[in-house]
Amino acid sequence: MTALLEVRGLVKVYPGVTALDGVDLDVAAGEVHCLVGQNGAGKSTLIKCVAGAATPTAGTIRLDGRDLTTGRPGTALSAGVATIYQELDLVGDLSVADNIFLGHERRIGPLLDRRRMRREAGELLRRLGHATLDPDAQVGELRPADKQIVSMARALSRDVRLLIMDEPSAILDPPEVDALFEVVRRLTAAGVGVVYISHRLDEIARIGDRITVLRDGKTVASNLPATTGIDPLIQLMIGRAFHELFPNRNILRGEVVLRVRGLARPPHLAATSFEVRAGEILGIGGLVGAGRSELLRAIAGLDPVTSGEVSVGGRALPRERPDLAVAAGIGVAPEERKSQGLWLDWSQVRNVTIADLPRLGRGPFTDPAAEHRAATAQLRALAVHPDDPLRAAGELSGGNQQKLVVARWLVHASSVLLLDEPTRGVDVGARAEVYRVIGELAGRGLAIVMVSSELAELVGFCDRILVMREGAVVGELAGETATEEQILRHALRTGAEPRTEPRTEARSETP
Amino acid sequence: MTARRSARAQEIALPLVVVALIIAGTILKGSVFFSTANLWNVLVQASVAGTIAVGMTFVIATGGIDLAVGSVMAAAAIVGGHYFASAGSAAFMLATVVAAVVLGAINGIAVAWLRIVPFVATLAMFAAARGIAHLISHQTPVALYGLDALTRIGSQRVLGIPIPAIVFLVVVALGWLVLDRTRYGRYVIAVGGNREAARIAGIRVRPIVFSVYAVVGLCTGIASVLQTGQLASASPVVGLGLELDAIAAVVIGGTSLAGGRCTMIGTFFGVITFALVFNLLTLENVESQIQQILRGVIILGAVVVQRRGH
Repeated sequence: MTALLEVRGLVKVYPGVTALDGVDLDVAAGEVHCLVGQNGAGKSTLIKCVAGAATPTAGTIRLDGRDLTTGRPGTALSAGVATIYQELDLVGDLSVADNIFLGHERRIGPLLDRRRMRREAGELLRRLGHATLDPDAQVGELRPADKQIVSMARALSRDVRLLIMDEPSAILDPPEVDALFEVVRRLTAAGVGVVYISHRLDEIARIGDRITVLRDGKTVASNLPATTGIDPLIQLMIGRAFHELFPNRNILRGEVVLRVRGLARPPHLAATSFEVRAGEILGIGGLVGAGRSELLRAIAGLDPVTSGEVSVGGRALPRERPDLAVAAGIGVAPEERKSQGLWLDWSQVRNVTIADLPRLGRGPFTDPAAEHRAATAQLRALAVHPDDPLRAAGELSGGNQQKLVVARWLVHASSVLLLDEPTRGVDVGARAEVYRVIGELAGRGLAIVMVSSELAELVGFCDRILVMREGAVVGELAGETATEEQILRHALRTGAEPRTEPRTEARSETP
Repeated sequence: MTARRSARAQEIALPLVVVALIIAGTILKGSVFFSTANLWNVLVQASVAGTIAVGMTFVIATGGIDLAVGSVMAAAAIVGGHYFASAGSAAFMLATVVAAVVLGAINGIAVAWLRIVPFVATLAMFAAARGIAHLISHQTPVALYGLDALTRIGSQRVLGIPIPAIVFLVVVALGWLVLDRTRYGRYVIAVGGNREAARIAGIRVRPIVFSVYAVVGLCTGIASVLQTGQLASASPVVGLGLELDAIAAVVIGGTSLAGGRCTMIGTFFGVITFALVFNLLTLENVESQIQQILRGVIILGAVVVQRRGH
């Protein structure tokens, strides 16, 4: 096979994070090349670089020998690179034909040639085997699967040589996936190279030709045959580098602090029940979109639920009252720290004391001196850097911003911490520090629930792990014996599930 | 930090602008401008829009806006003048303030609980409150000559200071105290700066959003009393364009229309800057139409300068 796309030694450094650290990728014309790796392994950054949406720090990208390293979307597009992102970038108010030709409309002079666009759109849809899709239909009213077809027709409306598909099957039902694969085969038969990203490892053998595995921003295996088994793939995806990051801690288990019973918010969250004890770290694993953040938000009263109950220290919380959840001792550190957790132009002190102004004030007035004392004590205990309580939160690194949110709940003396991806966007070195802090808090008797996409983090750090898939808890694993493979199997539904664990609801009798 | 710095910058820069305007006025007009009489007059002229600007600072701090203040001021005065003037000055003042708070609270309910965009909710009140004023008054002003205490507010001085100026200064001071020094003020800024973070931190966002519209209603009611005191009548056509003056003073003062960044001191100097500029232009016999155009130019310029600072 002749190389269509040649990526060599690609490096992409964002402030504070090295997203890509030497990636190689070869895609031949007419092949489906599967790209796999954990969340955060660098897949998205890689395709952004290839599509020209991000400029690489070092390395080369060549398509047919032509250099694409400049990082301009226009260059990539005109060279024949088309990308279908996870979040489909269609305009819902426009018709199918309008969407397909968006940005390169067919025209007669300054006027749109609607008839020609409609006709050509029809031809493209026929080529994709979806002649029944009406070019005049409004895209916003189409099913997700049809929207995907429109995206692909748009890619084809330009002279596409390389098609990048980011988790195209994530939103599709099995029959729709079959139809999608049929379309992909038509494209490759016409000589188009396809980069296919999917978390559903079982799809790879059906559609792929070769596989490249990324881990921690590096290519750890390239050009494996698509027949490679799921187990070796998972081994390659996981790696072993994280272990030394986790602190040794004395596990103490106290009373049940947080009890969740039948909490449900269809279709995002199926009835979920579990308990967390004082001193326990409960990990929640699963793929992005499996309902993990939704679970945390439902517990904290941030989203409406249809049934179920949350109680802290034996006392039930009213629904949809985040203020009362906070008062009862639940503290949330959201995944989107900057947009949901912090006031970036506020000082560290103000960010940390916002939940405790009644206690730290005098009557209706605030007491900056008392705030400063209370905040500084916790900021020092967590070793927030820089040690300048008046510094604005926006000037801190990701790890220190995470500590800031945690410090708020320490000032508040919360008994339950709900952490959503606490190490996302935190550099590997700084992660050890975040783990140390969380471990210490558990040691002090806080009950901790931690959503994580890092398998090593779940296995190496958590006392107990719930795995979610499609809005439901599908497995519960004990921290000491859990393996990363087990978590992935539950999360991916690859069939070969171990029989020792309950498949359906996590039971609350444990431990 | 940069954002805070720019609000601070305005707190420092505007007093300099005020000093420059006073020097310029003194050079241009001499004692006609630089006299205690004229300078107090500037404050009296600023008192109505300025009092409302204090409440508007709270609304804009949450990322909201209130376009209805001018209409609400007229409607409140007409309600007070038509139904309660016969019961004396105190009854009139109380009724006027209560009516303005009620209309403001309706805005607050529309924005906080019915989740109507502030621009639209208060635009509706802008139309409706003016309608109320015309309907009750049959489109004629209500004379309030009998209310001595009220007219004294508009005309008399305490320790040589005109009463409207005193009221304005007291409202500014209270506004500063509440916004800068109380828990409530911190919550207002928190909600404006990051609503979701505020919710997650356990702040009840909707009552806070509701309250700022009631606060601007309260300020509008006080402004309405000042205005009727000066005119000795309640008119259904007062307050036209007043929302513009109040919002402009707040924005010039350095408060961000996006919410979360506000300065009451800036608002005070924004009000004074505006009042001085138009006092000077009037003394220079510049036509009111041209003053109106300049008003627009100044607002635009202030927003551009504010954005530069970020």
